[in-house]
Amino acid sequence: MINEYELDNLIICKKCHTLHEKIPLHNKKKALCSKCNIVMYQRDDKMLDKNLALVIAAAISLVIAFKFTIITINIQGLEQSLTLASLFSVIAEHKQYVVGMMFLFLIVIFPIAIILSMLLLLFFMKIKKGAYFTKRLLILLAHLRPWSMVDIFFISLLVAMVKLFDYANIELGVSFMAFIFTLILDIIITKNISFYELWEIHTNTYGTINE
Amino acid sequence: MNNHEDFIRCHICETVNYNDDKNVLCRRCHGHIYNSLRISFHKTLAFLITAIILYIPANIYPILISKQFGIHSESTILGGIMHLWEAGSYPIALIILVASVFVPLLKFILIIYLLITSKYKSYSSKLDKHKLFYITEAIGPWSMVDVFVVIILSVLIHFSGIQIYPGAGATAFALMVFFTMLSALSFDTRLITNKKHLKGHSINANS
Repeated sequence: MINEYELDNLIICKKCHTLHEKIPLHNKKKALCSKCNIVMYQRDDKMLDKNLALVIAAAISLVIAFKFTIITINIQGLEQSLTLASLFSVIAEHKQYVVGMMFLFLIVIFPIAIILSMLLLLFFMKIKKGAYFTKRLLILLAHLRPWSMVDIFFISLLVAMVKLFDYANIELGVSFMAFIFTLILDIIITKNISFYELWEIHTNTYGTINE
Repeated sequence: MNNHEDFIRCHICETVNYNDDKNVLCRRCHGHIYNSLRISFHKTLAFLITAIILYIPANIYPILISKQFGIHSESTILGGIMHLWEAGSYPIALIILVASVFVPLLKFILIIYLLITSKYKSYSSKLDKHKLFYITEAIGPWSMVDVFVVIILSVLIHFSGIQIYPGAGATAFALMVFFTMLSALSFDTRLITNKKHLKGHSINANS
């Protein structure tokens, strides 16, 4: 048996579950898995600041994306626009409650919860307060991450637009741009943020917390 | 280096733990890494069966109903794809075909394969099986594309003369995706590495 300290020097690849021994990295370097070449851990001394800025931007663009018109179509003078409000009113009108609830959670509640908890998490870790709170947020984020489907919603939107292209004039709204912006930010954040590293920082700043 | 099977990766905080007990509490986040492997096996199987059952109404019932000046027309997933193909929009037809037919089927097959090989001897390596599971998790939510498209269309085509609305198939399909995701989430990666779990409770801890 080896002790806990030595366990901390091991890492298991999330894709192929190969065990590796960790080596110290220089700033802005990444460690790749020897078997499947995906990033296992990275070192970036400014990770908290960078991601906090990105998350704030993502939060603003998400609010805009949910607030205003996404697209407006025009079929021979008849106009109809897609906003989040019109979406739920139509779903309620058609009595599609199961789909509506799933939509509400996957597109609205979970993405907002993820952005909000990342915002709080990075902020509190930056000011080095709230040891227990940040730990709960890290655990919450691990559970929430697979359930956000904003990116899939956007692809669906593009598919729907191509389907309507022959019949209708399509006008892009403010929220459409905001959606693109949110998704680009989301891709950058997922690339930059490393939950493995966040947990390490958490242990280093607050020490181990026993419940 | 120690034997790989003596260690386990916590799926919440990604730290390395000893793989020594039925009820492992993670040393960093204190969450249950996994409960019993048997429970994990049966949970995955139960969610998978639910999903497969829901896949049948999802394909039989119409996913999209359009009402044009009083005339009803319904289309199922496959019908919609064929309609798109005939209309000449091949890329969209392919996207829908991959997202709503191939992805769910692939997920069913992969999870069934992983469950069977956790019980019986298999010829694929553990490395490959871990990669297969990674793929299963990654492709999961993409089957929702079709349901979202139908909902977006139902909001946009909402006039007094012409209306599109989601049918019973959409509900079944959305639930199917939900249950396949639950199935993949409750799959324990130790089912890939450990062979002994279903015969006895003993999981070796000696390194």
